[in-house]
Amino acid sequence: MNEDQDKLIAELVEKGLAGDMEPINEIEDRVLRSKAKAALVKAKRSAKPQETEDHVKKVSDKSSIDDKSLSENLNENIGEMVNEKFPGSLVNENTETHIQLAPDHWFEIAGWLKSEPSLSFDSLQCQTGIDIGENTLEARYNLHSMKHNHCTEIRISVSINKPVIPSVEQIWRIADWFERETYDMLGIEFSDHRDLRRILLPDDWEGWPLRKDYQVQETYHGIEVPKMKEGWE
Amino acid sequence: MGVVHGQEMVLNIGPQHPATHGVLRLQVKTDGEVVSEITPYLGYLHRCFEKHCENVTYEQVIPYTDRCDYLASMTNNFGYVVAVEALMDIKVNDRVEHIRVIMAELQRIASHLLGLGAFGLDVGAFTPFLHMLRDRERILDLFEMTCGARLLYNYMWVGGLSHDLPVGFVESTYNFLDYFEPKIDEFVNLLVHNKIFVERTADIGRMPQEVAVSYGVTGPNLRASGVKWDLRKNDPYSIYKSFEFDVPVGEGGKGSVGDCWDRFYVRVLEMKESIKILRQALASLPKEGDIHQSIPKKIRPPKGTIYKRTESPRGDLGYYIESDGTNIPYRLKMRSPAFTALSVIDEIAAGWLLSDVLAILGSLDIVLGEIDR
Amino acid sequence: MTVDFIFDLLNQFLPGFSGNGFLLLFAMLIPCLILFGFIAVYALVVIYAELKVSSFIQDKVGPMGQGFGFHAGKWGLLQPVADALKLLTKEDIIPGSANRVLFIMAPFMIFIGAFVSFVAIPFGESIIVADLNIGIFYILGVGSLAVIALILAGWSSNNKWSLYGAMRSAAQIVSYEIPAGISLITVIIITGSLNMQEIIAYQQGGIFNWILFDNPFIPVAFVIYFISALAETNRTPFDLPESESELVAGFVTEYSGMRYAFFFLSEYANMFVVSAVAATGFLGGWQSPISGYLDSPGWGVFWIMSKIAFLIFIMIWIRWTVPRLRVDQLMNVCWKVFLPIGLINIFGVAIWTVLLGS
Repeated sequence: MNEDQDKLIAELVEKGLAGDMEPINEIEDRVLRSKAKAALVKAKRSAKPQETEDHVKKVSDKSSIDDKSLSENLNENIGEMVNEKFPGSLVNENTETHIQLAPDHWFEIAGWLKSEPSLSFDSLQCQTGIDIGENTLEARYNLHSMKHNHCTEIRISVSINKPVIPSVEQIWRIADWFERETYDMLGIEFSDHRDLRRILLPDDWEGWPLRKDYQVQETYHGIEVPKMKEGWE
Repeated sequence: MGVVHGQEMVLNIGPQHPATHGVLRLQVKTDGEVVSEITPYLGYLHRCFEKHCENVTYEQVIPYTDRCDYLASMTNNFGYVVAVEALMDIKVNDRVEHIRVIMAELQRIASHLLGLGAFGLDVGAFTPFLHMLRDRERILDLFEMTCGARLLYNYMWVGGLSHDLPVGFVESTYNFLDYFEPKIDEFVNLLVHNKIFVERTADIGRMPQEVAVSYGVTGPNLRASGVKWDLRKNDPYSIYKSFEFDVPVGEGGKGSVGDCWDRFYVRVLEMKESIKILRQALASLPKEGDIHQSIPKKIRPPKGTIYKRTESPRGDLGYYIESDGTNIPYRLKMRSPAFTALSVIDEIAAGWLLSDVLAILGSLDIVLGEIDR
Repeated sequence: MTVDFIFDLLNQFLPGFSGNGFLLLFAMLIPCLILFGFIAVYALVVIYAELKVSSFIQDKVGPMGQGFGFHAGKWGLLQPVADALKLLTKEDIIPGSANRVLFIMAPFMIFIGAFVSFVAIPFGESIIVADLNIGIFYILGVGSLAVIALILAGWSSNNKWSLYGAMRSAAQIVSYEIPAGISLITVIIITGSLNMQEIIAYQQGGIFNWILFDNPFIPVAFVIYFISALAETNRTPFDLPESESELVAGFVTEYSGMRYAFFFLSEYANMFVVSAVAATGFLGGWQSPISGYLDSPGWGVFWIMSKIAFLIFIMIWIRWTVPRLRVDQLMNVCWKVFLPIGLINIFGVAIWTVLLGS
């Protein structure tokens, strides 16, 4: 873009701001016209905003004065609160990136996480299962609050021999399918889940594919399952 | 007037059915035309995405993400590379960011066009579908110009892009935008305000806010329920912070908030917003900048975990990546927006007529490739 | 061109056969064969028209080709022929669990319903197979035969989608016959006759003598008739019985090949019949729009054909423009809108005729 064009655009934007859109629409060069329009949009944004932005700030300031201190080290705070409310549930005191919980009171803790006004984790973003080795499976919950716009991650480890975790399907309804998928892939059983069955794989599939010790079954309904090919990786 | 109850009949919609947008099986219990219960059965398109990812290197995952949501491959790439870059702490230059945003927004328009067209098809309007595909074709031409592919691009790489923009791309995109902007009003006239279409969609399949949030419904479906939530605004990634655009929400223009009509109209409005973003991004596109500048020699993210969300045309697309320090992801989970959108179908569609169920299914704009992965 | 006329002609030239009923049968067979040929050719033309009109509406080119080689002919003219050949040569599949007899019978039944209506349609002053004195009543009556055939098809297929389609279409056709009949009653009130030729004769003398412009109530009746006709022929926006995005293909789900073609053919034949009734009842039949201008018998065929073609074009136009109604809305429109308006309309026309009629 050369200087002439810059000048021209500046002029046009001035006119546009004054409400006169015709000079912009009359430009024949498409690129120039679109640039002028884009510049106009930007100019309008920087022109009107003070009051609206201030307004937004005020509103958000009011609603989250208490939360701000909470959000800064959210995980630590949640950890402390969990320790207070549900003693013994916090497995690992280190809550820098995530909160490690014991499975026993998970259902109650989840309900509390959702209903506690200063946290209000009303949405379960993602639920993952993972085989972290050493005969341990882990369920991970990425929680998010629409109200406060903060996130946290909960981790619950269980032994591979008895992988049972309370279901939170009745707290966040989406957990229904997420837990079914985790069950399908890793064989973590979610107790009190009302409809726990495989979701992506067929009902009669054997084994839990995303476990690290998974062996592909030899045949499926009499069809030989092809072996992994050489040099495939 | 009382309701006559007859015998319940179990009906299998799918796996091969014109209105299931792929291979989905809905087992519905019907009493006459009234559907009392819907049980979705998934997995007909399961391709072991997550298992594959544990066996290939980080860069080899990108083509697989293409094939998950095959109608919005660019945004799938985008979400993945943003996640890996955050894990490795890579910063890409301004030109790359701009091109990525341009591609993502073009893809959003293309995806919405197909989604809206297919929705129209579900309620029996054949012509708008072809009009929308005609315009989608022009976007695909732009993509083909850039990377040679029309559907599965493998365009965004960790730390950069596969190709730079070709000569004349900016001009062609401006041409397309000038052509397309008035077309949106044509769609609006053809379908949105059509009396029969309004009758078929207004007040049908209302999704209340609490239900939408509890079921993890995101994207246009959530916004149609009146929740102003868009990751491009609320949790800005890439350079979305520097663009001016609105987040349209459903206002119940023809019926109540969160009905099928709102879900349709929000997508129409979103296309307009995407055009706004595109114009700004094209105008401020830096001339200089090497698109391969930040591509690492070896992609070996440090040990750690990341969950990164981006806004795909269908909603929050999340990648959960666990790295053990090697060049192969230890665990990669894709949180697909269509998966959560489909899970709500029993809640909002039970009790409606058979025709409505299919209209509601169409309004959720699901892609089975992403649900089954 | 009536059967009597042919019978007399045959009697004259083949006096040796007269008296044993053979000639009468022969005299009936000839117009039937002519009509069958006509329907087949007409279907090819209208399928081509449907393809081309929909293409223009949808901003695509439709069937195209060059020359008459293995492409679809010049401008795709051979496309409907190719379609017909494909349907003819396709494998005829009868589902194992279907009721064989009824399954085979249904396509013929539905075609009979459409076919026998043709005999009472006047193509010109003297070109009508059977000039019945209750012509319009006869067409409405045999038109309902289709319902039986549809239910047969839906039930005998032993498929839930077919059953849904059949039940929907039965409800739809039976309901929409009432507003269609009611709006035709207004025509009968004005002309005082059920005979098709007499109805046409009443409208002699140019466009302003057509029943459509007879009094202010008739246009309403015409609109009701036309919309009901759309519903009776299962065209969009009333194509619920075979709505492809809901019921796969409705009552024709299990049909293939030639049997499917018969359903297809009878849909187009039905379109012709309802358009012909509308043209006869409201638009002056084979009468020229300008009195005394181009109204020889040959032009009469041209006029009625162009009126029918125009109405069919509108049907195609509507089909490719609007979405589909829902089943309860369909019934609401029929019973809560068309029926009351139609009844009021009858009163209006009756009073108008008594007070202002000649």
